[in-house]
Amino acid sequence: MATSEPKAPETDEQQCDSQVTNQEQYIKHPLQNRWALWYFKNDKSKSWTENLRLISKFDTVEDFWALYNHIQQPSKLVYGCDYCLFKDGIKPMWEDDRNKLGGRWLMTLNKVQRHNDLDRYWMETLLCLVGESFDEASDDVCGAVVNVRHKADKIAIWTSNCQNREAIMKIGETYKDLLSIPSKAMLGYQSHDDTSSKSGSTTKNMYSI
Amino acid sequence: MSTNQVKSCPIPTRVLTLKDWSQLPDCYSQTPGGTLFSTTPGGTRIIYDRKFLLDCRNSPLARTPPCCLPQIPGVTCPATHPVSKLQDVKEEVEEEEKDVADDNQFEMDI
Repeated sequence: MATSEPKAPETDEQQCDSQVTNQEQYIKHPLQNRWALWYFKNDKSKSWTENLRLISKFDTVEDFWALYNHIQQPSKLVYGCDYCLFKDGIKPMWEDDRNKLGGRWLMTLNKVQRHNDLDRYWMETLLCLVGESFDEASDDVCGAVVNVRHKADKIAIWTSNCQNREAIMKIGETYKDLLSIPSKAMLGYQSHDDTSSKSGSTTKNMYSI
Repeated sequence: MSTNQVKSCPIPTRVLTLKDWSQLPDCYSQTPGGTLFSTTPGGTRIIYDRKFLLDCRNSPLARTPPCCLPQIPGVTCPATHPVSKLQDVKEEVEEEEKDVADDNQFEMDI
């Protein structure tokens, strides 16, 4: 016993040293904003808000990936489900104070794109948001939504005010560019007001690129 | 909850040697070879480019699922198998209990 005792603290110290070195490699990268990921499941027996669930919040690059790496890709979700990524404090609904005057850049995907593009476009959308890709116009971003639907999947970026033309155009143009969406494919921006009060199946575009 | 040992490796880093001043980016908010971590010229916004974000994807810190991740079959855990009906029922009850807890959380977040 007595002879082995002096050795023990030495080993401890070495372990401590290596732990400190490892921890330095494990620094997380802070994000500009804290984000919340929501999941919506279309269960007709429940109300719309009951079907909306918060999955998790994060405010570092590593925590974003920790979440992303452990949840299902949109193309594998059941029809009628959504993912919503919104800035902390903004609920993923038109009625939220930060959304009610706003609108969305909308991308509609066909059935072929569901296999080829949906998951990739959604991930790229998330990277644009958490990385703050739109310069000052990033302040206008409220969040993004992917709707998984039998007819056509949709991805949208929600912004806070449909009158902020400059910010909206900056977001739309940058987004189209970063996702390498062909220039002939049109993206349209619609106000939530128009979307919620539409009578037919189409909503008019306030802006398009 | 997975308790599997995950082999760790350091966060990837790159060292770039510039041969010429012209290789420096024009903008103060960029680093050579891609923007790593920076703020906008006013110093107010933390931005990350796509490449940096993707490089972090396999960071040891991103390999563990976030704590308190709700169990949502088909989303945060595998879809339930129709083999064991009893288990399904039990899980549904647990789901409902969790829903109540989550609802409270929503209230707090407003």
